Amino acid sequence: MSEKVIETKELTVFYGKHRGIVDVDLTVEKGEVFGFLGPNGAGKTTTQRVLVDVIRPTSGQASVFGLDCQEQGVEIRKRVGYLPGEMALYDKMRARDFFRMYEYLRPDNGSQGYWRELADRLELDTSRKIREFSRGNKQKVGVVAAFMNRPDLLILDEPTSGLDPLVQQTVLRMVREAREDGRTVFFSSHILSEVQEVCDRVGIIREGRLVATQRVSDLMVQPFKRLQMRFAEQPPDGTFDRDGVTVLSRDDQSITLEVRDGLPEVMETAARFGIADIETQHVSLEEVFLAYYGQGNGENNA
Amino acid sequence: MLRLIWQELKFRRNAIIGWALGLSFFPIVYIGIYPSVAEEMAGLADLEIYQAMGVNLGGFEDWVGSILIVFVPLVLSIYALINGTGTLTGEEEDGRLEMLVTLPLPRWQIVTAKALALSIATVIILFLVSLVGAGVFLAIEGQLETELVAMDMVTGLLAAWPMVFAVAMIGMFLAAFSASRRAAALIATVIVIVSYFGSNLANSTSALEPFEPLFLFTYLDSTARAVQEGQQAGDVLVLLGTGLVAFGLALFFFQRRNLTVGAWPWVRAGSV
Repeated sequence: MSEKVIETKELTVFYGKHRGIVDVDLTVEKGEVFGFLGPNGAGKTTTQRVLVDVIRPTSGQASVFGLDCQEQGVEIRKRVGYLPGEMALYDKMRARDFFRMYEYLRPDNGSQGYWRELADRLELDTSRKIREFSRGNKQKVGVVAAFMNRPDLLILDEPTSGLDPLVQQTVLRMVREAREDGRTVFFSSHILSEVQEVCDRVGIIREGRLVATQRVSDLMVQPFKRLQMRFAEQPPDGTFDRDGVTVLSRDDQSITLEVRDGLPEVMETAARFGIADIETQHVSLEEVFLAYYGQGNGENNA
Repeated sequence: MLRLIWQELKFRRNAIIGWALGLSFFPIVYIGIYPSVAEEMAGLADLEIYQAMGVNLGGFEDWVGSILIVFVPLVLSIYALINGTGTLTGEEEDGRLEMLVTLPLPRWQIVTAKALALSIATVIILFLVSLVGAGVFLAIEGQLETELVAMDMVTGLLAAWPMVFAVAMIGMFLAAFSASRRAAALIATVIVIVSYFGSNLANSTSALEPFEPLFLFTYLDSTARAVQEGQQAGDVLVLLGTGLVAFGLALFFFQRRNLTVGAWPWVRAGSV
């Protein structure tokens, strides 16, 4: 039986009258990489901050490792590495002093000096003062700080933000390695390609509400398919006019359809005109994501 | 928690040195020049403007009381106020607090460690300034007719620490309560200024007498007696009590608040 590392039930946060998140029911299981997707202001950071007890929920429950996030926050944080999205550091410190301080304030962790290995891997010069760092290097400091105690759970808020593509790949590799070690990663992002690359499951949050939680592989086959068909006899205009079907393009040779509903009927109709060739086009996670936000080619507010 | 206190003190190392050097200006200049201006000062002793400013020109002991026991703690209160408000809300506003509170430390330990570190820092500053005061006293002692000894500079100034502690904790409370460092610092500054002038004016204006117990500086004795014998136990208890109550309130509010979002308590209370 799978072990739940993160579980929220009807988790709601309001900032005064402003919505943070509403009735978020979320489960992240041990050993998986869970991607939390949504645009700015959707509630990703709020959810993560509740899990590390920076923000207190207005209602609902949140637990990590089966422990209540508010009542047993200290026990939880012993096993969590957290990278905030809006990170600020002690600018006057050298990076190595910052990591030593972090180590010093985590006396029970068994990974002394591991930060050196991580810093080398990210090519971070720890002898320099943090205020001299570029945004990307500051982000590296945050990444190292999150990983340096080899936590059972990594909560990462847009971990590749500000990093160059090579370092982004290194960070994603570190995420995959954490999973291979049996650790759990919960990370938010709006870079869909990286979510597609490393995540097992993904949750899509929209205006504070979790609108979908699916395996990335399942999400990719939903909520629509894109078909490019060539016919022996070109169907007349209007042949595929029906709810759930959008004609994306057509020429003398082929028609490209986006099918959200009624695939059997579409195939039945197409067969009447003699299908010469049919190709299912790759739908990127980005397109699926945009579909969830009603900005895709069709409107899907699932 | 000791680790966090030590870390906080390390952060304050430069500030401790800087403020100690800056505040040493008072004993070096104002006590150092006393022998050369003593006669002129005696003629100004009855001017009310000086009394309103909390300056007593009656004699060397009174002068030391005014300079060391009033002005040094008064100016050090600015440091206490800046740090008291900055240590929570300031770090929250610039984002550093989020990294700290997500370490496996309970919030009460964070507040307590910061309060203790700030308190220790102010004691160290006062002690260093008092040593300078003692040194200056030894340098001019031969030109004075006084019953004071060098050690009085040290004990007299350290005895004024509860005032600084009270201001520091009021600053921390306001920071934990409010959403804005600027607002917390503004309110704390008003409290210190009103308290200082209110206390002095209450001595010469009967209209302010009923309010005298409300002013913090009422509980700081700057007379010659205080230089030699220290502060009155009752006054010390009032100041320490005020500081501890403010610290307790800081703990209470910090323990319950959402961090990083800077909402005022009535907004937080209005969450639906």
